[in-house]
Amino acid sequence: MDVLDQLGALREGKLSRRAFGRSLFASGISLVTVPMLPRRAQAAAEDHATYFTWGGFDIPDYFDEYVAKRGELPNFVTFGSVEEALNKLSSGFVADIAHPCLSDVPRWSSTGLFQPVDTSRLSNWADMIPELWNVPYNLKDGMPWMVPFEWGQTSIAYRTDLFDLQGEESWDMLWDARHAGRLGSLGAGGDVWWCAAIKAGVPFDQINTDMAFEKISAVLREQRPLIRMYTDDTTSLDTALAAGEIVASMAWNSSVVSLSAQGVPVKFARPKEGALTWVCGMMLHAQAPKIDSAYDVLDSLISEAAAVFNMRDYGYGGVNRKAFAGFSDEELAVLGLSRNPVDTLQAGHFGIPQTAEWDRRMTETWEQIKLGF
Amino acid sequence: MTLADHSAMAAVPPRALTRFLHRHEAWRGYLLLAPALTLMAAAILFPLGMTVVMSTWSLSGYDMVTTPGIGNYTAMVENPMFGVLIGRSLAVATTATLVTVALCYPMAYFVAFHTYRHKALWLIVMTLPFWTSYLLRVFAWKVVLGYEGVLNTALLGLGVVEQPVAALLYSQTAVTIVLAHSWAAFAILPIYVSLEKIDRTYLEAAADLGDSPARRFWRITFPLSLPGVVAACIMMFVPTVGEYITPAMVGGPDGMLIGNLIQAMFGPMNNWPAGAALAVVMILTIGLAGLAFLLLDRLVRR
Repeated sequence: MDVLDQLGALREGKLSRRAFGRSLFASGISLVTVPMLPRRAQAAAEDHATYFTWGGFDIPDYFDEYVAKRGELPNFVTFGSVEEALNKLSSGFVADIAHPCLSDVPRWSSTGLFQPVDTSRLSNWADMIPELWNVPYNLKDGMPWMVPFEWGQTSIAYRTDLFDLQGEESWDMLWDARHAGRLGSLGAGGDVWWCAAIKAGVPFDQINTDMAFEKISAVLREQRPLIRMYTDDTTSLDTALAAGEIVASMAWNSSVVSLSAQGVPVKFARPKEGALTWVCGMMLHAQAPKIDSAYDVLDSLISEAAAVFNMRDYGYGGVNRKAFAGFSDEELAVLGLSRNPVDTLQAGHFGIPQTAEWDRRMTETWEQIKLGF
Repeated sequence: MTLADHSAMAAVPPRALTRFLHRHEAWRGYLLLAPALTLMAAAILFPLGMTVVMSTWSLSGYDMVTTPGIGNYTAMVENPMFGVLIGRSLAVATTATLVTVALCYPMAYFVAFHTYRHKALWLIVMTLPFWTSYLLRVFAWKVVLGYEGVLNTALLGLGVVEQPVAALLYSQTAVTIVLAHSWAAFAILPIYVSLEKIDRTYLEAAADLGDSPARRFWRITFPLSLPGVVAACIMMFVPTVGEYITPAMVGGPDGMLIGNLIQAMFGPMNNWPAGAALAVVMILTIGLAGLAFLLLDRLVRR
């Protein structure tokens, strides 16, 4: 049948009901089948690995090597906390690379969702600082589960002009009732629970006891009425600190570095009880669909350039030994780092891997405390 | 088009089916509805059923145990947290609904009775806030309500307060304000429609018989606009009671609502069965509230 005939009939108002129905039917069929027809190759994004990471690490600055080799950035998906990330991965989301922390490794690797990294495929591996990955629970047949990417501290960022510091810097600052309603905190149990353990005086090797749960819950409940905001979003935290909305908050190194760069009088405390130290990095998905690209992403992330960016712009420790050569001792001191990263790591409290049951109990308790119960 | 074409088309469906469909009008209707019904079943009923089924499961480590039980529901009765949060959500949603309807009524009234030209333009202007994304609107409120925000700066400048008012942001007040603004268009439109429908001759008659404007409003306009007000309440209340993003962004620790707990259960707490049970309880609660509104509507229309 002729399309023009039909259009003519339509214009004259003579299109029969049957012919109309048939046209409708045909257009319906074509509408449904069009997506099934072969299509032209799409944008190259599909050829790149997907990197599942914290918001803030999804930036081009880490991927100079990768872009030089493959021409474009990998794909990014971001999360707010490791609990959320593992939950999404275990419910079927596949990203080639995910970004947990070292103390999460036993739990994460036991899910069967990950594969050890073949370090012979990483050209920058020889420059890595071994203390950051060479721990028994991170190794399987000599291959690491996690490739470290950044390390640093969870401590207190405070406004030197607004926070009335009496005596030494200490975790008590975040429990200071004089600043009630002007204190902030991170929202993820992974940081808060351990910091509260330091405040409560619970040794980390006893954290999996009922006594520890009681003590830590008690200090966190005591703190909650003083807290203005719990957030995992460093941008909100930085804005609130810059505005003076909060005068002190539990924070990571990056908040202080970025706020100082903006001229905000802010300091990263060295609490007398010690800060929480951590190492985070990348794990490779067991079914990584773009495995070659994924190895290039890993290689780029542990490159000297990426480590320098981590140190200079975020204040995190770099994992590539070469990166330290470009910094003077004074510069490192300002960033809260030292030439030998092991010194900094050992000066604080280092999180110990825990069981899935502990993690569930901790998260559940913490979420309830956050809601006020 | 030729006759041969016709016969070729007619031969495609089997005769028996054609005859069956010709004879039973209802089946023809269902066949036409089938795509929509399938979509509804797949996208609404199936997930809903899944939620109900999952709410009877339990957890062991990271795995779900699919043996049915009512453990999640009994836990909800035993733990006061759930009752408090549900109560708080209902209270915040009710306040936001009442505030919004009270603020939107005059606006709708103005457009319905006091504008004579470009009514559509007026309505478009009123829905203007809806032209930006919901998230942006909430962010804009953070700027307005913040510690060094527009409102606090203005209050300080005018000398009304000496210290910035901290309770403006990260509080239940903030949640109520943002909800009332964000959902305003949902309240304005139904009220406007019911006001617009009112027969103006009633008002003229009342005026002729000596009613003052105020009496005219309370005896004629207001009662006749009540169906719109009830509709506006439903449109506001049902979505706001389960709100998650607004409290998460401006609520602070004390402004968290039940939606945030459900999110935490499906997110960091990784306890889907408990989250599903909570969702089911919320569906029932909102259903009850909706029923109350429907009864109210019946009463009003009588």
